[in-house]
Order: sequence, then C-alpha cells, then structure tokens
Amino acid sequence: MELQSPSRALLEADNLTKRYEDGQLALDHVNFAVAAGEIYAMLGGNGAGKTTTINLFLNFIEPTEGEARVDGIVTHRDPLAAKKKLAYVSENVMLYPNFTALQNLDFFARLGGRTDYSKDAYRDVLLRVGLQEEAHGRRLKGFSKGMRQKCGIAIAILKDAPAILLDEPTSGLDPKAAYEFIGLLDSLRGEGKAILMSTHDIFRARDVANTIGIMNQGKLVMQRSKQDLAGEDLEKVYVEYMAGYMDRETETV
Amino acid sequence: MFRLIVEKELRETLGTTKFAVTFAVCAVLILLAFYVGARNYQVGRAEYEAARAENLKQMEGLTDWGRVDHRIFMPPQPLAALVSGVANDIGRTTEVETRGELRSENSRFNEDPMFAVFRFLDLEFLFGVVLSLFAILFAYDAINGEKERGTLRLSFANSIPRDRYILGKLVGAFLALAIPLLIPILIGCVLLPILGVPMDNGAWLRLGLVVLAGYLYLGVFLALSVFISAMTERSATSFLMLLVVWIVAVLIVPRASVLVAGRAVDVPSIDRINFDKSKFETQLWQEDRDKMMDWQEENSREGESGREFFERFQQYTQELGEERNQRISEYTARLNEERRNRESVQQRVALGIARISPTAVFTLATTNLAGTSLSLKHQYQAESATYQKIYSDFIKEKTGRTNSGMVIRLGGEEEEELDPIDPYELPDFSFAGPQTADVTAAALPDLGLLVLFNVVFFAGAFVSFLKYDVR
Repeated sequence: MELQSPSRALLEADNLTKRYEDGQLALDHVNFAVAAGEIYAMLGGNGAGKTTTINLFLNFIEPTEGEARVDGIVTHRDPLAAKKKLAYVSENVMLYPNFTALQNLDFFARLGGRTDYSKDAYRDVLLRVGLQEEAHGRRLKGFSKGMRQKCGIAIAILKDAPAILLDEPTSGLDPKAAYEFIGLLDSLRGEGKAILMSTHDIFRARDVANTIGIMNQGKLVMQRSKQDLAGEDLEKVYVEYMAGYMDRETETV
Repeated sequence: MFRLIVEKELRETLGTTKFAVTFAVCAVLILLAFYVGARNYQVGRAEYEAARAENLKQMEGLTDWGRVDHRIFMPPQPLAALVSGVANDIGRTTEVETRGELRSENSRFNEDPMFAVFRFLDLEFLFGVVLSLFAILFAYDAINGEKERGTLRLSFANSIPRDRYILGKLVGAFLALAIPLLIPILIGCVLLPILGVPMDNGAWLRLGLVVLAGYLYLGVFLALSVFISAMTERSATSFLMLLVVWIVAVLIVPRASVLVAGRAVDVPSIDRINFDKSKFETQLWQEDRDKMMDWQEENSREGESGREFFERFQQYTQELGEERNQRISEYTARLNEERRNRESVQQRVALGIARISPTAVFTLATTNLAGTSLSLKHQYQAESATYQKIYSDFIKEKTGRTNSGMVIRLGGEEEEELDPIDPYELPDFSFAGPQTADVTAAALPDLGLLVLFNVVFFAGAFVSFLKYDVR
C-alpha cells in the first residue's frame, strides 16, 4: 500500500511497529512517506495509532520493528539530528504560563536552534497565525486553548524545519481560526514543508491533504491520494474502512 | 543550550508570586537572624564584662587569699550570634577553687528556659529547616511538572541533549534561590560589625564557609527534589515523597540517632558518678577521722601548750587533707575519664548514625565552623582545668596552703593586722574560643559529605532522567 512520492521523501515510516511492554500492539508495520511540499493527513479514531506514529518520529519511544526516518535520518539512531529537521505542534499546546507569548516564542525558537530572530519577527509570526497584537505581551496563563494553539503553531513556523508534525492541530480552534489554519498549512506546503498531520476532522483533511491515510487499531488500513478520492464521499469511505476492518478483525477472532 | 535552560529556569522562577512571597519571608527571617544574633551577642558581652568586674569587686576588702570566692566566665563567641549550637547550653560561670571538680552554671537556657523550648532563630535553623523546605517547594515538580504542563514534550521535540537539560534545570533552580538569598545575607554581614560583633579575618572566613555550607545544603535538597521529580510521573506524588524525606532527614534522624546511640552505648549518669564520688569521699573522711583520733592519743605530750599541740595537729590534718584530696582527685579523674570515654563512644555512634541525614551533616559543619559545636564545651572545660592549676599555684604562693587542710583558729589567738589583697593580681582567664584553623579542619569532612550528597542526588536525577518518558 505504498505511494510513490513525486519528490524527495522527508518523512518516512518503514514497517514501523510498536509493541508495548504489556504486549499491546500500538502500531503494526506501517508504511508511508511524505515528500517536501506535501501534506499527509492521518485519520482514525482514538487509540488508532496516530499519536504513537508521531511519538516514534520524535523518538519519544523507540520502535519494536522498522524505522521512522526524517530526511533519511533514522530517528531512533540519531534523534538529535532528526529533531533538528522537525517541528511539532501537539494537540493541546501548553506553554510556560508565566511567560508572555513573545517570551515563549523566544525560548522555544532558541531551543530549536534559531537565535537570529528579532522581536518583530516573533510579532509577525504571531500575527500570521492569527494572534491579535494586544495578546503578544500577555502572560499565557490567561490564554484560551485556541490562543495557546496559535502560539504552538507559531513556534513550529519559527523553527523553519523542513518537516512538520501536527497532532490534532485544529483541536480547540474556533471555525474561523481553523479555516485560517488550513490556509496557513497551504502556505507552508507552498514553502516546501513536508507535513504529517493527525486529525479527526475528515472534511479539513480532504480540503488540505495531498494524501489521506486511515488508521485503525495500529494498522494503516487505507492510503489514497487526493486525486484518487476525488468525487468520493470521504466520510463514507472512512466509515466503510473502519467498519470493514473491524468486521475482518471480528472474523479473524 | 545549557545557558538557555538556566535562563529559562531563572526567569520562570523569579517571575512567580511564589518566589516573591518566599523571598520576602526568607529576607525578613535572615535579617532578623543577623539582628537578633548580634543583639544577643551584645547582651552576652555586656553581661560577661559586668560579671568579670563584679567578681573582682566582691574580693575588694578581703585580706586573706584563702577566703577568695573566685569565678571565671566564658565570653560569648561572635559566630554564636548566627549559629548558636551548644553555646546556650554551656554554663557561662565557673566557680574556681584550688582543688576539686569545676562545675559551670548559668547557661543561657538555664536563665531563659523559654529559649530552650523554642530555640533561637539563627542561620543554622533557617537553612536547616526553612530553606530546605523552600528548596523542595521550588523543585518538587522540576521534571514531572513540566511533563504535566506539556512543556517537556514540546521541549524535547527539539534537539536537546538530556544531560544538558537536567543540569540546566538544577543549576537554574539553584541560582534562582541562591542569588536572591545572597542579598539579605550580605546586608546581614554589613550589620554584624555595626551592631558590635567583632569580626576578624578568621571570623569572616568561617562565616563565609557557613554560608557555603548553607548553599551546599540547599543544593542537596534541590538535587534530591529534581531526582525524585525525575523518578515520578505526578508532581503530587513527588511532593508527598519529598515531604516524608524532609521529615525523616530534618526531624527524625538527628533525634533518633541520639536515642539509638543511648541504647547502644551505656554511659553512667552524672548522678551515679556523684554518688560514687560521695561514697568514696565519706569513706576517706571516716578513715582520716580515725587517724586523727589515733594521732591525738599518740601525740599528746606532757607540758606542751594547747597552741603548740594544735599547730602540730593542724600540720597533720593538712598532710592528711592533701593526701585525701589527692586520692579523691585520682578517683574522680578515673571516674570522669571512664565516663568521658564512654560518652565519646556514644557521641561517635550518634554522630555516625546522624550523618545519614544531610541536615545533621549541615548542623555539624556549621556548628564546627561557628565554634559552637560540642568541642566548645570540651575546650572550655580543658582551659578551665588548666586555669585551676594556675590559680591553685597562685593561692599556694600567696597563702602557703592549698585550702585542702583543715584550718583551725584558736580562740584568744591574736589576729594579725593584714593588708587587703589586690584582686588584680589574680591570674587572668581569657577564653579565646576555638581557632579558625582547628574549626575549619573539623568542618571539612562534613563539608565534603555535603558535596557528596549533592553529587549522589544529582547522579540519581541524571540517571533517572535519561530513562524518563517525556511524553
């Protein structure tokens, strides 16, 4: 079920498998690739293996089998080199509550190796992600989830890494902010970033992704390009794949 | 990277209300400790000078050195103002006689029992109890708190070596507490000479080492907090664990070590020793009384005047008294030495057990440096005993006797017209207290132990964090 990417793959999952110590198989021989200038949307229910995949790319956990590669670097062999090429936005961005938005951006930008930004650059990025100017100097403890999410996205943009991992990035955003976020993703794709996004949002995935993968119980049960899915009802496809896979699982049992 | 983490820790700590409140409380307490300590020193010094003057004054008008009621006094130690140690438990007044045991009385706690109940607010208490607790409050969630907030995950999505991160966290937390604390400590140091505490170079060096010991001790609790924080998933769990460790280290181990040593090594009580001495003295008195009776029967001469007889008798009793005192002294010295030896073993056992607690190690280091450790008592006793010999020789030179015999004045004896004594002829007793080189050498092993505690707990934090699940 591998897709051929037209350009160099920056994110690659190669037979990626993770079995936890308690025996639970969280990820089962998953293969995919995300090329520069592409957005890959991973769909699936809770516990499907989306976040596990992202954790393996970040080397928060090591694979039981297979490997995750970032620009050819195997993440569990050289995690520090791999992470230099990765930016990450979590589902629920929690930054330092006693720091202002600008201070948080400054800290994480420098942590990501970027020491060349001015305060104006931070302000520009915050405006680009839709955070109003009056909030830039405020401490984060008064921010809503959506505002924190915007800061998290700004941090990922500032790192200017070739690959971006997004774990439920529109979670907590209001419809307008989510719409603006999709526009932002589109522009990042235009800059040549390889974006791997896990999401529950089928409609936005269809709008923005070049490739859509559906995960269920640790397996990548469907992987199709946007062109392949053209004219199809993605919601129906999703439900069918999930149901069909579950039926097969039940039969196997 | 390391510097960035340190800066972040500093900024994150210094910007909180928790820090502002903690710093204010610490600053007030530290300044209060310096002020109260200096005032206590002033009062103690004034009492010491007054007592010395009064001692000489009460001798004025006396014509017989044998009737002198002489006392020596322990001067207050300058650094006892900041680390009181046992200085308040030791009797400050010692009545000196030409023979017999010296007993010190009028300790500070004897005069002000309330202080014995609640103790003094000094630097040793502040670091030992208050600041160690604050160190825990600031670092109990150093790692697991970042995980709970989600910032650990975001941080480690970047290319950060874990060793630099944990070192940066620890150094940052330490500097965030240590630098602000230095401000009230420095102000307190300026106050000391202004408030009349004499600080020579040695005293400054010792005070500097006391502060160093305080910072090492603070480092122990910070490293321990980071260690436990890196072993646990939830900050509530690490806080609870640290609280238990704190109670054990600060409150239980030092006290329990004394109890355990007391059970392990039996030391005869002072009452028991006094009873044995008294019994021996009574026995010797009985023997001497029989000898005196025999002497009287055997030595009465025909035609001898009463005065001549009593002079011979007095000579005999003098000789008997000296012999008796010699035997009592030897017996007492043996009992005391046996007791001291056992006490010394008991102390070694107690201190050995207590040293598993960083708090006990810190207390021992600082009391040694301040010259208020147990050795202060031993040194004062030793110098008093040396002075007693000098005093005894002086009295013997002045009176021709050592007050050990029985002096009998006969009725009708013509009183000689004697000149009053000059109390200022008395040999001077000045107790300088422990010397800087000695106390520093005595404190070094404990300072080394504090460094070791830091290294061990940091190593524990480091190893735990290498395996820590940052998700």
